[in-house]
Amino acid sequence: MKKIWLLISLMLPLMLCAQDELLNELEESLSTDTAVRAAFKGLKVVNFESTKLAHKNSLVFIVSHRFGTVKNGFDDFFGLDEAVTQLKFIYGFTDWLNAGIARSSFQKTYGAHLKYRILQQNTTGNPITLVGYNLLTVNTALDEDGFADFKFTDRLSYTSQLIVSHKASERLTVMIAPTYLHENLATRSFVMLPDETLLEFDEENDQFAVGVGGRYKLTKRWSVNVDYGIHLNRNKNSVYNDPLSIGVDLETGGHVFQMHFTNAQPMFENGFISQGSGDWGEGDFYFGFNLSRIF
Amino acid sequence: MRLLIIASIVLFNTFGLTAQGKFSTKTGNITFEASVPSFEEVKAVNGDVGAILNTDTGEFVALALIKGFRFKVALMEEHFNENYMESTEHPKAVFKGKMDNFNPDVLTEKVIRVQLPGTITIRGISQSRVIPVGLSKVDGKIKITGSFMLNPEDFDIKIPSIVRNKIAESVDVFVEFNLRGE
Repeated sequence: MKKIWLLISLMLPLMLCAQDELLNELEESLSTDTAVRAAFKGLKVVNFESTKLAHKNSLVFIVSHRFGTVKNGFDDFFGLDEAVTQLKFIYGFTDWLNAGIARSSFQKTYGAHLKYRILQQNTTGNPITLVGYNLLTVNTALDEDGFADFKFTDRLSYTSQLIVSHKASERLTVMIAPTYLHENLATRSFVMLPDETLLEFDEENDQFAVGVGGRYKLTKRWSVNVDYGIHLNRNKNSVYNDPLSIGVDLETGGHVFQMHFTNAQPMFENGFISQGSGDWGEGDFYFGFNLSRIF
Repeated sequence: MRLLIIASIVLFNTFGLTAQGKFSTKTGNITFEASVPSFEEVKAVNGDVGAILNTDTGEFVALALIKGFRFKVALMEEHFNENYMESTEHPKAVFKGKMDNFNPDVLTEKVIRVQLPGTITIRGISQSRVIPVGLSKVDGKIKITGSFMLNPEDFDIKIPSIVRNKIAESVDVFVEFNLRGE
């Protein structure tokens, strides 16, 4: 009897092994998809673009608001009365090429952009996703009468950006975005002296910035997002500050809700990088959200 | 002497393994559907499922990569992988089974129904199931078809309340393998 058990126990691994051996054969023959996807839930981190693109043939509609500064409290209900709105449509021509158009009530600005993926992070050697982003904006709020020799091209600004992201784990994704900004009519800061003389300081037409940021997933559908834009050649007398934003993402199937606090009210890249007028240190920041719906 | 017997059994078994008749495919098909009427279709197809049948023993294994399931809506596919299946952590779905008294010689173009008991492993969780399958042989290929139901909660797949009414409670699964002799 003992011998039989010995025999069975010896043969059992072999019998089990037969199916596992078949399975191993299968595993070797199947090719795996190595792309590291879903680095971000939204097309934006907060203000900066993320490395996520709209899928092929899908249309994304994004409504964004940045309310006024929260520092006035109930006077304007923490800025609710001073909302800036941006409406944006983005279409995925392919999984790697998106184009979008938008209109923001900040300086009555129209914008058109292209966003394209150059590299996709994968598990077999490429640690980063690299995305290019080009934006053209038209400031239609500029009043021609205020300028001598005003040309239409003075309304235009160009932003070119490379966005590099690394999904370090299922939860954590970090990104860095070197940015070049060209304003045909450079952002102007006005500084009032005590004797009421008004000084003007213009930025360079060519400006450089680096965006850094990331997201950390708290649960499958919630994440905390942060981004910060470091302006590299802002003039010393500028009244504007580097944009720092912190918020949460909530994904509910076809919608992504992004709710945040930021010290920049504009939503186009050239706007929030060069004209963030809030100051976190003085409790002067804005509540905002981006709401995206995918069709 | 005892050692000799054991050794010969072990050897015999090893030979037995290498001399098996195997039929296999890399392009097996699994379709699942969890649609609810009047809501968006929740359906996906994986056409790259691997499967091997050992015709000497009746053993059958199939392996599908979760990332290989294609949905009509790309966003649904992304959420399927990220939120429901967690395919980075659990990339595979596996079936291991064995048909009793399997005899390949009786297979013809006419479909016969047999029971295929085995284990389904999804997200690292294994479940014993008996799958009713149809067997036939067409142009020298052994065809296995079957359909069955799976419950997401059996595999610890959580469906949040916000989409609960848009995804069916149980998922219909259809499989088809055309296995070619190796």
